[in-house]
Amino acid sequence: MAGVEKFVEADNAEAIITRIEHKSRKIESLLKQNKPVEALKTALEGSPPMTRDERCKSANWIVVHRALMAIKDVDGMFSSLDPEYYDILMKYLYRGLSTGDRPTCDQCLRIHEKLTERAGLGCILRSLADTVNTV
Amino acid sequence: MAAVAVHQFAQCITCHAWSPDQSMVAFCPNNNEVHIYKLLEDKWEKVHVLQKHDQIVTGIDWSGRSNRIVTVSHDRNSYVWNQEGAEWVPTLVILRLNRAALCVQWSPRENKFAVGSGAKTVCICYYEQENNWWVSKLIRKKHDSSVTSVAWHPNNILLATTSTDGKCRVFSTFIKGVDTRESKTSSSSDSKFGEQIVQLDLSFSWAFGVKWSPSGNTLAYVGHNSMIYFVDDVGPSPLAQNVAFRNLPLRDVLFVSEKMVIGVGFDCNPMVFAADDSGIWSFIRFLGERKASSSSSKYGSQFSEAFGKLYGQSKHGLSNDTVEPSRAHGVVHENCINCIVPLRKEGPRTKRFSTSGLDGKVVIWDLENQEVVSDYL
Repeated sequence: MAGVEKFVEADNAEAIITRIEHKSRKIESLLKQNKPVEALKTALEGSPPMTRDERCKSANWIVVHRALMAIKDVDGMFSSLDPEYYDILMKYLYRGLSTGDRPTCDQCLRIHEKLTERAGLGCILRSLADTVNTV
Repeated sequence: MAAVAVHQFAQCITCHAWSPDQSMVAFCPNNNEVHIYKLLEDKWEKVHVLQKHDQIVTGIDWSGRSNRIVTVSHDRNSYVWNQEGAEWVPTLVILRLNRAALCVQWSPRENKFAVGSGAKTVCICYYEQENNWWVSKLIRKKHDSSVTSVAWHPNNILLATTSTDGKCRVFSTFIKGVDTRESKTSSSSDSKFGEQIVQLDLSFSWAFGVKWSPSGNTLAYVGHNSMIYFVDDVGPSPLAQNVAFRNLPLRDVLFVSEKMVIGVGFDCNPMVFAADDSGIWSFIRFLGERKASSSSSKYGSQFSEAFGKLYGQSKHGLSNDTVEPSRAHGVVHENCINCIVPLRKEGPRTKRFSTSGLDGKVVIWDLENQEVVSDYL
């Protein structure tokens, strides 16, 4: 039985990877149309926190990272980003900060400051306290 | 102003409780003692010190009708205190725990009390007349971690618990010979002692502070991830609402009416939550002076305060007496609030309540004439 479950999980992971690839193409085209916020929303949507599969998490992080780095006007982004995205965005900001990559950290800190102003310390706590649905 | 009285009783208060007529308050000043203060000629004077526990007292409850105080402590024991003349006489209740007791509450009929503990168990204690002895019955192997809070349903049978495993559970505590058939409601009529009615798995982090609404129809509890959970139809198919808020997590909650909840915690300022006509719960406002609107400077100051602490600019050097109330950020409490107790009940509604916290203050709040708030009372 365990083998079957593993197969299902692997199959599921393949499906998620395919979806992320599809998402990636959509984001590229949104970025070409100069719609970075739409691209970020697309990246954050359907991110796979529930899966244990690290490959899926990494693949989605690459997509989110691409959209995140394309944000130039942080205030402008927040004027069109709905609050429902705040918690998941915060999780990805901490993932970005954990990379230690200079430009990524710079960008994440810039967004982090504005996000904390809007979503409060509660948002930080929700992203740090949740050890089950990690990104 | 919502805060009608501020009393600086100690350096730090772990919990407090009021006498039935509210002329006396009992609290633990973060040690092994319970101090009882009484209002004498417009001044609060220390009238009793209950000394029996060996370690920090974590829970106090003063029963409204029978005028008995129950205390629990890290020393794993509980005492029931009866007033005989001018003295408070303790009776030891052996809880049979191997870890600290963390919280206590009298049942509505005051014939039982519940103790949550760090031993992953809940003790239901009741008095055995023939042996002149308080007996402790344990609910074992149901919690995966410490039990942080207990709350009695108005029917005297159901008990809700929160735990650091993130779950909120509801148990039947029916004890033969103590509870009678007619005191049982239809929903819990078949359940034996210790039977789990429902397990709510809404929080991913520690759960604290659980309470029932006055009717017992709604349950509220908080998570350590800045979330508060409201549960209707507690039973096989509960209806849950998760409300996220932008501030630091809560530690305890209190229903002031069916549609309104006060939450207290690390933000040092009571928060008002209310349900609209369609039953959707949301954050309404802070009860203290600070406005609910956001400002970047607020977080800036909190961060710089934290850095200040890192570099040794500790606030402990200040004497607590010299600190003016409502100096820090314009709020009454200056540290985490961890206890909220109702005062002067008028029917199913509570208009007054008191809070205590790590700053050693007991604050009395009045909801009368509070804008927005009165709509929900």
